[in-house]
Order: sequence, then structure tokens, then C-alpha cells
Amino acid sequence: MIAAVLIRRILWAVIIVLAITTAGAAQVRIVQTNSQGDNIHLIDPATNQIVGEVKGVPINHGAAALPDGSRFFFSSEAEQTLHVVDGKTLQTTKKIPLTGRPNNISISKDGARVYVGIVSAPGAVDVIDTKTLERVKSIPMKGGIHNVYVTPDGKYVVAGSIAGRLMTVVDQKTDEPVWGLFEEGVRPMAFEVNPDGSTKRIFVQLSNVHGFAVVDFHQRKEVGRILLPDDVPAEKVDKGPFNASPSHGIGVAPDGKSLWVTSRPNARVYTYSLPDLKLLPNPVDLGGRPDWVTFTPDSTRIYITTENTDLVHAIDVTSRKEVAQIKVGKSPKRNITAVLR
Amino acid sequence: MRWVIAGVGGVLALVVLTMSGAQAASPEDELPEGEGKKILLMSCTSCHDLSEVTKFRGYYDRKQWRDIVVTMMEYGAPVDERQVDVLADYLTQHLGRQ
Repeated sequence: MIAAVLIRRILWAVIIVLAITTAGAAQVRIVQTNSQGDNIHLIDPATNQIVGEVKGVPINHGAAALPDGSRFFFSSEAEQTLHVVDGKTLQTTKKIPLTGRPNNISISKDGARVYVGIVSAPGAVDVIDTKTLERVKSIPMKGGIHNVYVTPDGKYVVAGSIAGRLMTVVDQKTDEPVWGLFEEGVRPMAFEVNPDGSTKRIFVQLSNVHGFAVVDFHQRKEVGRILLPDDVPAEKVDKGPFNASPSHGIGVAPDGKSLWVTSRPNARVYTYSLPDLKLLPNPVDLGGRPDWVTFTPDSTRIYITTENTDLVHAIDVTSRKEVAQIKVGKSPKRNITAVLR
Repeated sequence: MRWVIAGVGGVLALVVLTMSGAQAASPEDELPEGEGKKILLMSCTSCHDLSEVTKFRGYYDRKQWRDIVVTMMEYGAPVDERQVDVLADYLTQHLGRQ
């Protein structure tokens, strides 16, 4: 009896040690695309150094990673393909032909499907099976798709069209559009969740809007619009051009406590507390035109690209101070956070 | 001594000329003149830098260039129907896949 208890305790100790060891082995990487190059950089947020490079993905746009980091996916606008890249060797193992010119991509919560926004008319979302590595469907859209997202609960795919002036919400199980919103060009988005993980609000950047719209997901309607501050002296304001997108780059920190929104004319990132959307002091100067944001999983750092300076800025979330600048490739835009297990 | 000064001056002048030449090699300057270039500069660069177009150099055939022009029209680029093919032809000829 005593021996049985002892064995059970030893087994539990082994399981706990193994779990800790496995968790300790997980590595976080900031995956940084370069929109005018053919390479992608992997940044270690622990050191803010480039620790890996994917080569041979010309005019790369969107990035996604399997939940265990064993594979990456990158869309190539030049080749109109989706590159499948091995997470260890960083070599392309397959190029999947797409139905048109791709823009941004997203992956389902379970990692089973990659969704690719097709910007070529008439517009679509191509669906890639990540096991067979084949395109299994193309969901027709109204207008070319620029950015595509999977909601944090994995239940919906949300596609934004600039040409179609529409945000389309698609049921992830049926691949059928269920509702849409806006009559303006739809740009980047960020998602806020309810305590049960379902989508509460979407913060949506729009064409020619220096700010963002607030969409109540349950009510399926816009409930507010917030413009970014006009707090930079006129002589220091960047006059553009900004692709008709003065505010491009938005993200909710993984802990759900803050919303970060970038401004191209002001070359800054602004922070709003959540859920009250109160503007916090001390915006961070970026010295260039921001494009995209991603966070470390522990919400301590945000990584922001400035496409005209070829830099990624690492910013401490709590103090809102820049802690590092990382020189990457030509015209860095989209970035994601990947966890390699 | 005068020969040394003249030599150094000559080298400096060469460096300045080389640098100014490098600066002049912008995407705009690299593109040959033509009706297509006029449309390109008038309708595209009000929204984005020309490098957003020239980055596709060597990758696209005419159908793909035309697709880009049509997409940009849908985005609001001021290109009329008669200019679509002129611009697509120009981009194919000077930036298209060989």
C-alpha cells in the first residue's frame, strides 16, 4: 500500500517535471515579413535579435504559424502562391497555387485551415487544408480581400475589403457569410473578447479615417468611432502618401487590458485602456510610418513595424517606452507572434 | 602641391557626381517616358510610393498587371476605362515578366 502511494507520487513528480521542461522549451518568435523583399525575419523577443531568416518568398505579404510552430505559411504576391515553410529548417517545402493575388492570411484556432485573402477581382478567401496542403475551397466575396482574421474563439472568419467597402463575417464551420458591415474601405482590425472567449467588439480601421470604428459583435453594428489625437506640431506631421490609410496597425494586448493604435501622419502609437477605451498618456514616437503590430504572449512587449525605415520597434507595454529597434528587410509590414514548442 | 590639391579636388568631384547619380536613380527615373508613365505618375503616386509598383518588376504578365490596375481603380485610383490597357501595356513592357 505504502509502495503504491510512493510509486504514484514519483509518477506525478515525473509528469510535473516533464511538463515544466516542455513548457520551458517553448520559444517565442516575432515573425517579420518584408513586403518589398523576398525574405522574412524571425526575432527572439528575449534578446531582440534576429535569430532566423526565411528566404525565397518574393513580395511576401501575410504570415501564419501552426499552433506548435512546426510550420509557417507565407503568401507571396509575386508568385500568387502560399509558401509552406518548415519551422525548423526554415525552407519552403511546398508552394500552393492560389486563385489570384493574395494579401493577408490567417490560421484557424486548431491550425487545420489557413485562410488567404485574395485581392484580385472579384475577391475571395481561399481555404487551405494544413494537413493535405491543398486548397480545398474558395469562398466568394464582394470585392478583393485585403486582411482576413479568425476570431479568437475560432468560430468566425472576418474578411475586410477595400474595393467592396465591406467587412464580411463568415461562419467558420459552414464557410457561409452570415453578416456584413460598413460602406467604407475596411483595413486592419483587432478583436476584444468576452470572459467566455467569444467576440465582444471589433476595432476596425477604415480608409481615410485617422482612427477606428468600434463594432459590437453581438449587435452586428458600429457603436462608436474614435479619432486619434491631433497632438503633433504641423511641421512635424508626415504628409504621406499613406495608401489612403492614415491609421494602419491595431492590436488588443493578449491580456485584454489595452488597445494599441498606430498613426502614420503622427508617426506614433497610441494606447487606449480596455474596456473603457480611455486614451492613455505618453504615446510612443516611432520616427516612421507604422504598418502592423504584434504582442508577446505575456503582453509585456509590442512589436511595431515602420515600413519606410525598415525597422521593427520593441516597446515595453507597461511603461510605453521603446526598448529596442531591430533593422530588418525592405519595407517590413505584417508581423505575427509564433510559439515554437 | 598644386597637383595634389587638383588630384584631391578631382576625386571629391567624382565622389559627388557618383553620389548624385545614385540619388537620381529613383524608380521614377528608371522608367522610360511614355503615355503609360504619365498615367502611372498621375494616378498611382498620389496614394503610394512608386516602389509599391516597381517591386513587382519581372514577376507579372499582362493579365496580372491588368488585374493590379483594375484593383487599384476599385480602390479609387483615378484611371478611366480608356487608360486601363495603356497602363497595363506600359507596365507589361517595362516591368513585366521576360
